[in-house]
Amino acid sequence: MASEEKVTQDASPSSENGRPKPTPIEVTHPERVDPKAVRLLREPPWKLRLTIEGDRSYLKVKVVRAAPLSQPSRYVCFLDGKDEVVCMVDDLSDLEAGSRRITLEELDRRYLTSRVERIESIRSDFGVSYWDVQTDRGRREFVVQDVSENAQWLGERRLLLIDVDGNRFEIPDLDALDRRSAKFLESVI
Amino acid sequence: MENQTTTGPFMERIPPEVNAKLRAAKPSDEPVLIQVVADLADDSSFRERWLVVTGQRLLVIPSDGADGTVEVPMEQVKAVRTEALIGGGRLELERKQGAPAYLHYTSSLAPKFAEVAEGIRQLTKGEALALPEEVPRTRCPKCRRLLPEKDGICPACVKRWDTFLRIANYLRPYRGKAATLVLMTVAGTLTGLIPPIITRHIIDDVLTPRANFSLLVWLALGLLGLRVLGWGLEVGRGWLNVWVGSRTTADIRSQLYRRMQYLPLKVFDRRKVGTLISRITNDSDRLEGFLMFGLPHLFTNGLMLVGILGLLLYMSWGLTLFVLLPVPAIILGSLLLWKRLMANWTRWSARWSRLSSHLNESISGIRVVKAFSQERREGVRFDQRNEGVREASVTADRSWFLFFTVINFLMSFGVFFVWYFGGRQILRQELTLGALMAFISYLWLLYGPLHWFGEINNWMTRAFAGAERIFEILDAPAEPSEDPDAVPMPRMEGRVTFKEVAFGYDRVKPVLKAIDLEVAPGEMIGLVGRSGVGKSTMINLICRFYDADRGELLIDGVDIRKVRLKDLRGQIGMVHQESFLFSGAIAENIGYGKPGASFDEIVRAAKAANAHEFIVAKPDGYDTPVGERGDKLSGGEKQRIAIARAILHDPKILILDEATSSLDTQTEKKIQEAIARLVKGRTTFAIAHRLSTLRSANRLVVIDDGKIAEVGTHEELLTRQGIFYRLVQTQKETSSVVAVGGGKDDPNAK
Repeated sequence: MASEEKVTQDASPSSENGRPKPTPIEVTHPERVDPKAVRLLREPPWKLRLTIEGDRSYLKVKVVRAAPLSQPSRYVCFLDGKDEVVCMVDDLSDLEAGSRRITLEELDRRYLTSRVERIESIRSDFGVSYWDVQTDRGRREFVVQDVSENAQWLGERRLLLIDVDGNRFEIPDLDALDRRSAKFLESVI
Repeated sequence: MENQTTTGPFMERIPPEVNAKLRAAKPSDEPVLIQVVADLADDSSFRERWLVVTGQRLLVIPSDGADGTVEVPMEQVKAVRTEALIGGGRLELERKQGAPAYLHYTSSLAPKFAEVAEGIRQLTKGEALALPEEVPRTRCPKCRRLLPEKDGICPACVKRWDTFLRIANYLRPYRGKAATLVLMTVAGTLTGLIPPIITRHIIDDVLTPRANFSLLVWLALGLLGLRVLGWGLEVGRGWLNVWVGSRTTADIRSQLYRRMQYLPLKVFDRRKVGTLISRITNDSDRLEGFLMFGLPHLFTNGLMLVGILGLLLYMSWGLTLFVLLPVPAIILGSLLLWKRLMANWTRWSARWSRLSSHLNESISGIRVVKAFSQERREGVRFDQRNEGVREASVTADRSWFLFFTVINFLMSFGVFFVWYFGGRQILRQELTLGALMAFISYLWLLYGPLHWFGEINNWMTRAFAGAERIFEILDAPAEPSEDPDAVPMPRMEGRVTFKEVAFGYDRVKPVLKAIDLEVAPGEMIGLVGRSGVGKSTMINLICRFYDADRGELLIDGVDIRKVRLKDLRGQIGMVHQESFLFSGAIAENIGYGKPGASFDEIVRAAKAANAHEFIVAKPDGYDTPVGERGDKLSGGEKQRIAIARAILHDPKILILDEATSSLDTQTEKKIQEAIARLVKGRTTFAIAHRLSTLRSANRLVVIDDGKIAEVGTHEELLTRQGIFYRLVQTQKETSSVVAVGGGKDDPNAK
């Protein structure tokens, strides 16, 4: 599973090698702004305001990741109240410090994916597996139906599980798990 | 709690320490209306927070040692909303002044809090609290185990005995055969137990003394006779068993199918078509397998086990103990290994299905693969999956092999013991050779069934869970098609009245908020609005696929809920954008709307639908098969057959849902003509994205935000320059863009 992802990524750059230069295509980027000009403010403290310095300002801003699974720390989009993209910041380190802090807070708040630290037990019967895990948010039990469908490899050793309710559990590095947990995991994956 | 006045799913049981905080936070005579737990703290860790709502205030109470109960007086609540997050959500209680209060929860509780938010909204508006009586269950009420699907069956708590009795009930019509079957099984098992006794006599009374030839003849004949009898019983049992098993499941299957036809549509909305189909096919298949093979297997082996044990104990209880020595190991071993075995097979089948889906995808998408010249990459991907399948099958086969050798090895231990201790007893003249030989024959008969101990349990559980799922459908309430109090309406006029109708598929998100509309018999109404605004929903209500949440919908002045369902649907006709045809001939499809229609009638309908010409031009004319879902016909052809079907059906109320979209101009003209004939004299509701096609409507009804925004003729609405005008303008712009791009210009959009 993990390896096929690799192929898709490898294949595209290699096929570009022998090709002529791409034909330029005209795209408008209304959201392309200087990241330095992006200011996030909590004003009043329970409201999030986005200002593009010297240009415009938005209330009710939503902060989302463009590719939350493959690029969690880059490509962050700011949406307005109508869910339309105000701007996208490719690299958060380009943001001014205060805005960056708020952005990270907002991302943390929005993406409730738990990181599995230890697996207490996995029982599987009748095609359903019952998990009991210790996560960065605390202990949690959940049910995954058909692990082969609801487990997604995000990398060689990185796994995302989606339970029956749509909760997400990430195992950032399979090799970092203790032996007992790894053994449990092995019995179902 | 003394002040607990309401019960139900939104009054969850509160732990004592939270209750103590609750008592401190509100007067004791203030009744609690909602009391629910959330599973995330403000820092998104998995900790409990309680939300308690009374008529006067909302309280957010942390359950762990921390205090910090947040109180929001009811009159301070400005708005209540839920925000969907990734993997959870947040309930926001906006105050008239100051910071809002929040409550966080995971996705598991999101449906509950959507209802809670609605409940609080009702309270803030001063309305009566109306929360659903039931919410989907996520945990098994008995063992608290999380359920594999909402409202699903807990695989651990299937009431096996009850389910078994219910299945057995289906055997009742065939009880004669079933009883014969049981008798034959018992007799067959007994005949299987006798041969070792005979061989024992052959050894002890003939072979050892080397005498009694005539006895040998009789004993040998006896063996042969038993074999023949056993064979006869086996064949008879097999024949009967297959008959009874397949008969029973066929009965269950057809009952299930008939039941499903009458289930309300909302059952079909909630579940995927696949899972419903699998109940008819897979679940009944499992049940059939169990009835035909599992149950007899269980029965004969159980009988065999008891019989052999009895015989062994009778012959020599001392030796029997040695025989039983490896049994716990065998049972334990097969229980342990069986799981591994099954896991390996599951892995193999998962990989196999991925391989075949890749195959399916790449072959159906072969044009795309070739166009992007990615044949090589597809090959590499296939190889990887192929390798995965190979690897899994090696593991599975090896573990299978290992399983059997291990079990056989364990069994042979019993045999060693018996040979050794039995042999010693023979030397001491305590046992005869014949007895020992009989003993060893029984031994193998005894161990055989033990192999399957691990499996039988699995088998039964699966079959019974399947049966439970089947019974769940059988027990679901059907549409009230046979309500004896319903008003018969064999010939309706076609007057349709909406009175303050409100409805939402999800109670939290009303699609229609307050619809008021009076439609005269024979009038044609065009429903207009953005997609998702509720046009199709209005039609679903007219067909009574759903019932309105609030308000009334009247047909000829009678509440739709009181009209006999058969009469109502019998007089509603529909033509959809995607005409659904059943596989069969064209004539059959046209005749679907009127069972027993004559061929003349079918031709007349086809002519009226402008379909006659293209039908007779086909080599097989009216007998042309339309293919699965009608895929052998073009879109325009299907459409006209659907119109012919509706014409033959002769409805008083007609529904045209995007009936003329996605067709070329020529065909569209033909269809417009056909529709013009069809709508004459019928109350018609038409939905069309292309607004120009609604010109012929008597009135256009513009829906916005769950309400009727504008009503009038095409021209009236254009001069009013409201929503309709803007929609028309946008469409004109879009079609001109299409024209620039080289697409077909729409001649009707002006």
